[in-house]
Amino acid sequence: MNRITPLSQALVLGVLIFVISSCSKDPIRPSIGPVDPPPGDSSSYTTGFFIVNEGNFNWGNASVTYVDNETGTPYQHIFQQANNRPLGDVAQSMKVMNNRGYIVVNASNRVEVVDLTDFKIIKSIDGFNSPRYIEFVDSTKAYVTNLYKDISVVDLRTLTITKTIKTPEWTEGMVKYNQYMFLTCIGTFSEPSSKRKAKLLILDTETDVIVDSIQTATEPVGIVIDKKLKLWVLCSGGWDGFSAPVLIRVNPDLRQVEKAFSFPGTDIPSRLNINPTGDTIYYLQNGIFQMPVTAAQLPSQPLISSGGHLFYGLAIHPIDGTIYASDAIDYVQDGIAFQFSSSNGILIHTWETGRIPGSFCFSETRNRKSIN
Amino acid sequence: MTGNGKHLRRSVLLLLVISGYATASGQYVSDTLKLREVEVKASFPVNNMGFKRVRLDSTILIPRLDANLSTILAQYSTIFIKSYGNNNLATPSFRGTSAHHTIIEWNGITLNSPMLGQIDLSQLPVAQFQGVEILYGASGLSRTSGAFGGVINLKTNPDWNNFLHVSLSQTIASFNNYTTTLNAEVGNKNFQSHTRANFGTAKNNFPFYNDYSGQTEKLINGSYSQYGFSQDIFAKIKDRHLISARFWYNYSNREIPPLNTNIRPDHLEYQTNKSLRSLAEYTYIHRSLFVKISSSLINDYLHYINDSINAEHQYYSFTNRIRLDIIGIKRLTVKPGLDLSHDWVNSDAYNNQKQRNVLAGFIELIYKVTPAVTLSGLARAEVVDGKLMPFIPAIGVEYKPFSKINLSLSANLSRNYRYPSLNDLYWETWGNPELLPELSYGAEGGITWNWLNNSKRFFLEAELTGYYLLIQDMIVWSPSSASSAIWIPENISEVASRGIEAGINSTFAYWKSNLDLNVTYNFCKATYQKEINPNGSSFGKQLIYTPVHTLNASIRLERNRFYFSYLFNFTGRRYLGKENTEYMPGYNLSNIFLGKSFQLKDFNLSLQIEINNLFDLDYQSIAYRPMPGRNFGITIRGSFSRKSSQ
Repeated sequence: MNRITPLSQALVLGVLIFVISSCSKDPIRPSIGPVDPPPGDSSSYTTGFFIVNEGNFNWGNASVTYVDNETGTPYQHIFQQANNRPLGDVAQSMKVMNNRGYIVVNASNRVEVVDLTDFKIIKSIDGFNSPRYIEFVDSTKAYVTNLYKDISVVDLRTLTITKTIKTPEWTEGMVKYNQYMFLTCIGTFSEPSSKRKAKLLILDTETDVIVDSIQTATEPVGIVIDKKLKLWVLCSGGWDGFSAPVLIRVNPDLRQVEKAFSFPGTDIPSRLNINPTGDTIYYLQNGIFQMPVTAAQLPSQPLISSGGHLFYGLAIHPIDGTIYASDAIDYVQDGIAFQFSSSNGILIHTWETGRIPGSFCFSETRNRKSIN
Repeated sequence: MTGNGKHLRRSVLLLLVISGYATASGQYVSDTLKLREVEVKASFPVNNMGFKRVRLDSTILIPRLDANLSTILAQYSTIFIKSYGNNNLATPSFRGTSAHHTIIEWNGITLNSPMLGQIDLSQLPVAQFQGVEILYGASGLSRTSGAFGGVINLKTNPDWNNFLHVSLSQTIASFNNYTTTLNAEVGNKNFQSHTRANFGTAKNNFPFYNDYSGQTEKLINGSYSQYGFSQDIFAKIKDRHLISARFWYNYSNREIPPLNTNIRPDHLEYQTNKSLRSLAEYTYIHRSLFVKISSSLINDYLHYINDSINAEHQYYSFTNRIRLDIIGIKRLTVKPGLDLSHDWVNSDAYNNQKQRNVLAGFIELIYKVTPAVTLSGLARAEVVDGKLMPFIPAIGVEYKPFSKINLSLSANLSRNYRYPSLNDLYWETWGNPELLPELSYGAEGGITWNWLNNSKRFFLEAELTGYYLLIQDMIVWSPSSASSAIWIPENISEVASRGIEAGINSTFAYWKSNLDLNVTYNFCKATYQKEINPNGSSFGKQLIYTPVHTLNASIRLERNRFYFSYLFNFTGRRYLGKENTEYMPGYNLSNIFLGKSFQLKDFNLSLQIEINNLFDLDYQSIAYRPMPGRNFGITIRGSFSRKSSQ
């Protein structure tokens, strides 16, 4: 005991700890863990579909999953792998046009524009106010809806916000009809459902001016256009169940609500979609519901019952009309995506996704001439 | 206690009571050993009645007067602290449990918010307490229910020999961080007054590399100011009656920095906290009877503001306790107690005022079977808002096989429950009044040993504990089937945590130097035992943000009033999702302290330099929340002390 002085002991331990410490100089950052490398340059991202994983709000863990149609293999975290940085916080939606992908990252206030050959960033567009969705007016212009303040006008050639259209309220879904963009407007974000004034805004795409509005039921979250050029608007009734949810049909020429279907039950409907032929609409209400646009009433039974799933996202393939849905499980682990037959609701495929798969984006798009 | 007769037992008890340790097992003092050159207090008490307790005393706290409880626990305990950054939200994960399974107490009074069920450790400045007592697992049942992980008690106690002790410290640290603390203790053998004040501000605008933007940035919206004031009064009448009154006001206003991926110059998010805590106690000490009556009132206010939320929450907690220790019924000690508490909350998140009434009856029995074997039993029954809660018992055994070797083996079995927080029950739209209490079952076994060599210059203690904890009906918030926007709390999860805690402390006093070496290691495998959703893949996987391995080590060398400490911390990998694919890599952090003190009669002046994150590790503890690189602090502290007996 006497030979070993405290000083020498301290020295030995100090050196030991120094050695241990000096080993780990790599920055400590979230690791995506073992994932397959993306398909890369050899095969581009033009023959499959994307699953946009929102990620948890304020966790910064949004991601994009790509599924190749040929192989059916899901590739996780393709944005991070291609660009060596995270996608951001809450990826809300994605659209493609002219071999470019536009990913709307809500809480990061950004739209990432990527090249679909390698998924590398062409430009990160900043300056949004909690962006939700992007809709193309033509090959040169797009609108982006926001939770706050305004609607952003994006020039697709320079990839910049060229104009903002002031609206104090939360704008969400968009559908173009003739020269007009119809936008759902939910009301002031910070207010409770009881105070929000919900409506459709009609925006003239030539002048970027809001020319008219149509009052709707509470919280219009989705809008589609059918083959007879009627608009369908899904009003959830409020996230807090403030009022009964309603599906309304709007005549875009007369700018009037023609029909309203009230939903039974307490489950809140969401994710309004329409098939490529424009004759059948789909939505989630616990299960997946299918309804011909000519129906006199809402379907009483789902086409696909939830069967233990908590369906979160829903999309219809723009060409073959099959049904894509996602399950975010308990939101604290990676989710699952499914493909179902639209004729009988039978499960065709299952894929693993990233965290909270919220929306789908298909490489192949079909612009129905009738709408434009 | 190798006591021989009632006289010793009584005087030890008196000492305990007066030093304020009495509400615990009442056995601490015998673990205090005087060294010729240094006083050593065993951190791992050998007499623990089968229930593990650890304490962190003022020698650890005084050099860290500018810090808060989260820093202390992260560096000196096996509790994992989930920290969102310097002076930002910090919550404990104790033995793999959630933040609301650790109860933080101030002199035995719960500080956890009845709304959240937890408390932010960054809001508890070290300058406002003198010691920390950590009660592991079932040991916390002697205080309260629901502390599945354990109880952390912040203590302030009088020193009856004090005449005057005044200290003033000023810390200046990186990122415009200024902390001032004042402590004034004055009194005599029968009366003591403590006044403490702390004031701190920081810009906290440290530089960090942001992967998202691809550049080095300065943290925005991270500034804070915090101040606190407390006054304690202690009075003693004929060594029989002890009366104390304490109050503590704490104010903080802090900005909350954005996530690395969400930085906007106009980021708006901040929070104001104000709390006023008061506690009055009366203690009666007799040969075989000890009575303690306490009453406390806490008022806590929180105001949170961001782009879309402007919410105020205010609660009051009124707690009344009676504790009796009846000693010497042959070899039996009986400690019954009664708690009565009333909480009321006014919150923007609730429809109207919410209240909670708790009546708790409690009994602890300690039976010395032989001098070597002590059995103890604890039982607690509670009625919450008129509903009888699950009965929660615990039994412990302690065995000291040798009379000359300070070795103790202990084990315990327990059941515990946690009542849902008021947010769980009443949060507008989302709360679930139908919730049941969470239940836990625990088993634990440990060994503690300490040794002082013949020359009393070398002290060594070691501790090894293994535990198993099963939590059933655990409350988890998850999206309802009605809507993904509506998250409701339900009793749907089950978690098992098993682990090993090991610690070694040693003190050497040779060559006119003192050397302390401390190492604690924690292994914690905490797993999901039930799938909330049948399609999940979390079964058997490690809980998110819960490291399996953590290790703390420290060296402190002192010679000629010069001291040097090196603190080392290893935090293992933490998973970011229940399926355990994405993770935060493990990391090592090192801090050093260098100080020199000068003594002139009763006056002491010390100067200290600290370097945190010595190797300038670029790290994140929580994903996309930056942490500062190497940073510095300098503290000057002056104190004046005079004992009344002098």
